[in-house]
Amino acid sequence: MSGAIRRARLAAASALAAMLLAGADWRTLPRGEGPDAVPVRRIDGAPYVAVNDLARLLDATKFWHGDVRKLQLRSGRHSITFTVDNPFVVVDDATLWLPSPVRSVRGELQIPAALVDSLPRDPALARLFFDARRSRVIVLPTSGTIGSPTVTASGGVTRVSFPADDPDAAVVVARSRAHLRVRFGGLFTGAVPDSLPSGGLLRAMRPIAAAGGSAFECEIAHEASGFRLGPDASRRRVVLELFREAVAGTEQFAPEGPRGPRVLRTIVLDPGHGGDDPGVMAGGAVEKDLTLALARVLRTELEHRIPARVVLTRDDDRGLTADQRAEVANHARADVVIALHFDGLPAADARGATAYCPPATFTEAGDAETSRGGSFQLLPWRDVAVRQAVPSRSLAEAVLSALELRGEGPTRLRDRLPCALLGVNAPGMLLECAVLTSPADRERVQQAEGLRQLAATIAEGVVAWQRNE
Amino acid sequence: MMRRVVVGLLVVAALAWAGWRWLRPAPPAPTESAAADSSGAGVRSARLYFAARSGDSLVAEPRELVEAASLHERVATLVAELDHGPRGGGVAALPAGTSVLHVFYDDHGLLTLDLSRAFQQGFRGGTGAEYLAIASLVRTLGANLPEVHRILIVCGGEPIATLGGHLPLDQPLDVSDWP
Repeated sequence: MSGAIRRARLAAASALAAMLLAGADWRTLPRGEGPDAVPVRRIDGAPYVAVNDLARLLDATKFWHGDVRKLQLRSGRHSITFTVDNPFVVVDDATLWLPSPVRSVRGELQIPAALVDSLPRDPALARLFFDARRSRVIVLPTSGTIGSPTVTASGGVTRVSFPADDPDAAVVVARSRAHLRVRFGGLFTGAVPDSLPSGGLLRAMRPIAAAGGSAFECEIAHEASGFRLGPDASRRRVVLELFREAVAGTEQFAPEGPRGPRVLRTIVLDPGHGGDDPGVMAGGAVEKDLTLALARVLRTELEHRIPARVVLTRDDDRGLTADQRAEVANHARADVVIALHFDGLPAADARGATAYCPPATFTEAGDAETSRGGSFQLLPWRDVAVRQAVPSRSLAEAVLSALELRGEGPTRLRDRLPCALLGVNAPGMLLECAVLTSPADRERVQQAEGLRQLAATIAEGVVAWQRNE
Repeated sequence: MMRRVVVGLLVVAALAWAGWRWLRPAPPAPTESAAADSSGAGVRSARLYFAARSGDSLVAEPRELVEAASLHERVATLVAELDHGPRGGGVAALPAGTSVLHVFYDDHGLLTLDLSRAFQQGFRGGTGAEYLAIASLVRTLGANLPEVHRILIVCGGEPIATLGGHLPLDQPLDVSDWP
């Protein structure tokens, strides 16, 4: 047996073993969160990236010339030409000498990762970054990178300073004190601080997923009266300032009610679907029937726990438009609205509960500024529920927490205004109580005891929210 | 005696077969000309987003597509690939049979996407399925068409208020709002 055959067999066996150990196809990318990235693998100790991945990152078209074993990538006015088993690469009119040759593995060219540092800097061409620590090549956004933030607190002002290539691309996307979210155009390549200054107004900070950039979610102390976000004098950093005392030119947080027990006189339950609209149907379960049955049981459970009036948008099998549902809630002067639904998902193994609540995009500035004769913020009536984003999210968290504790999860919370809350002038949420396409969830809620337990758990969550402790 | 001879012959035959399998020349490794990108035509790598099996998020899947000349063709190809479904671990999120009728790009980053009636008529599921269907579409188009920042979905040439009654579609969707 020749040495070449033996080496080929060993290489194939090693590759297969590695794939089995990894438990997945090495070409499969991780979940859709985070930056656009491709894996880097080692060949004879050198880092390589597959040409198909490279072409995708560069948004390039591939042309293969088999007679001379050359592959050309074309992206806009740029071209890159590779030759198999050759370390020389032609980028536009320049020839580069890479530290290792281009390889062909299983019919696909493998390119030394060192190439990404030599690509032309052109806004029309994706800017790539070889992240050796995580063995990947990523596309940097046009706004570049965001570095490690520093936090300082003095004189009633807390400053969070982010190094940023493009400080103008920073924006506040949610402005509640509990979940202040700042989105940046650049990719976060640093780390958040291990500790925060005592006595400051920043309670916690963590990076969260964001498309085409990065974002952070901050928890702000209740003593904070306002905030300001903008570039510093050098325009190399973005500074988030949190103020203890009111200062001219600061932005307001999203409106939230006073601390302590909430006033809860009227609760509106909105059983989803009805009439000609059955909703999800799976395994004999019909969503419109289950939502109505749950609403009736939940009304009883709530009335036992809270001295409040409970109103149902429908108490029989009839269809209602979104406007009609909102009209019932507004006419009843609802203190809270819960739209009850049961989910159906593409995969049968998906289960649990999901809450949808309005995003915190509205500020307190409207009333405050208008009373001072300043500017005001127009809000379409369609989106009036976003004024109640903070208590709505608290409600969703309280109910989901109760469901999770009772083993009726997993739970998910999404900041997205659902149709059921369009034009609703009250805190509220759409709650997908369980997944009917999941046999386990379906069997549970189809039984009277399972439905009663579900109603009791939701009522416990509402009571916890009302206590506001 | 006869039994030993038979057993011995069987052992020899097995060893000979194993030796032939091990020593025969390996089949030729696939050459570059066998790869998907071997023709003179241009091939592009796209990134498609499908629903995770847990229903929690999206999963990305790279796929090689023949280069399309126009924006309409590029969008139609991406939507068709979403309709064909994943080859990896995800689940198709787009309603079956969805296709592109027209696209209009206004040079300010707004893509108006006119989908076939199957988009609305083929939808089954709750808010989660609706969320994943919209997210799969918006994220895929946003990832592969960097010039697109907002997407307005219409169906059969007419505006639609919602896909399945849970999430509004009457206004353009900001690509960056669908991570």
